[in-house]
Amino acid sequence: MSEQGSQSSAATKEDKAEPPVTPLSHFLWILAALLALLALSAGTALIKLGTWNTVLNLGIALIKALLVIAVFMHETEARKLTRLTSALGFIWLAMLIGLALFDFLTRTAVPSPWK
Amino acid sequence: MNAELLSSEAPAVEEQFDDPTQQREAATLGMWLFLATEILFFGVLFASYTVCRVLYSEGFAEASRRTDMLLGSIETAVLLVSSSLIALGVRAVRMNERRLAALLFAGTSALGISFLVMHGFEYHHEYEEHLIPGIDFAQSGANAHAIELFFCLYYFITGFHSLHVFIGVVIIGVLAVRVARGAFGPRHHTTLELAALYWHLVDIVWIFVYPAIYLIGRAG
Repeated sequence: MSEQGSQSSAATKEDKAEPPVTPLSHFLWILAALLALLALSAGTALIKLGTWNTVLNLGIALIKALLVIAVFMHETEARKLTRLTSALGFIWLAMLIGLALFDFLTRTAVPSPWK
Repeated sequence: MNAELLSSEAPAVEEQFDDPTQQREAATLGMWLFLATEILFFGVLFASYTVCRVLYSEGFAEASRRTDMLLGSIETAVLLVSSSLIALGVRAVRMNERRLAALLFAGTSALGISFLVMHGFEYHHEYEEHLIPGIDFAQSGANAHAIELFFCLYYFITGFHSLHVFIGVVIIGVLAVRVARGAFGPRHHTTLELAALYWHLVDIVWIFVYPAIYLIGRAG
């Protein structure tokens, strides 16, 4: 009797641990948003905005990537350790590109005195 | 019959795990570790791209205008749709709709193939335009060197990305067949989740390739 009770409680615990199935509308809204953002980035790329072109291109790509990660890859439902691990790759990448840019953007050409 | 039994039951728990939840979470964690190495694999190419673009911004803008923006945009849309299809496919398996799930996985794989075909057309077009450094590169003008650098990075980034798409197409195609045969079910779908994670990452890489390769220097 008691063994049966513990079995059923284990079963309910297991069911709880399985994250709930994402509603269909969530996925469809995200897809619509991704395609709208794609159109937006293609459209703004054709307008002359100077530096803002780069900012918009990169910003829109970041938003698209975050939508995919959060909803399609279920990161909002993931536990902390998984979230931290998935953030790591992007953090290392930011360090790689950031430090490389620190170098190249702050270099000043110093001509040698005998030239 | 045997397959029916398989799909309705939870997967066997390996001895190092306490329960199916822990087993599933460990698998997801491992996949994300692999994806972190993939992010850095492409990250090195993106870092080189960033540095070269800072150094040769005009040349990169001129080179980007030589790429096919329309095909690039269609390819982006195809990958975004395929990502949602595979997400819906995993959802269908979890809701025990096996036929629908198999169709969604097959659709994802088919969209991946169409992506590769479109990219093939792009490469062919660039070959005709003499834009392949080392094989057939004949450009002149002040920015010729920068254009050569841009197209080197273009082939490395899109080439490795296409390789990843090809691997995904094969894996997801095989999984579509296994889903149709009933190898997965509401409580046995970790393999599908991991394949979907891989495919989404391939999609994310392309989300950044698209503006970097196709969209610079388009205005004016």
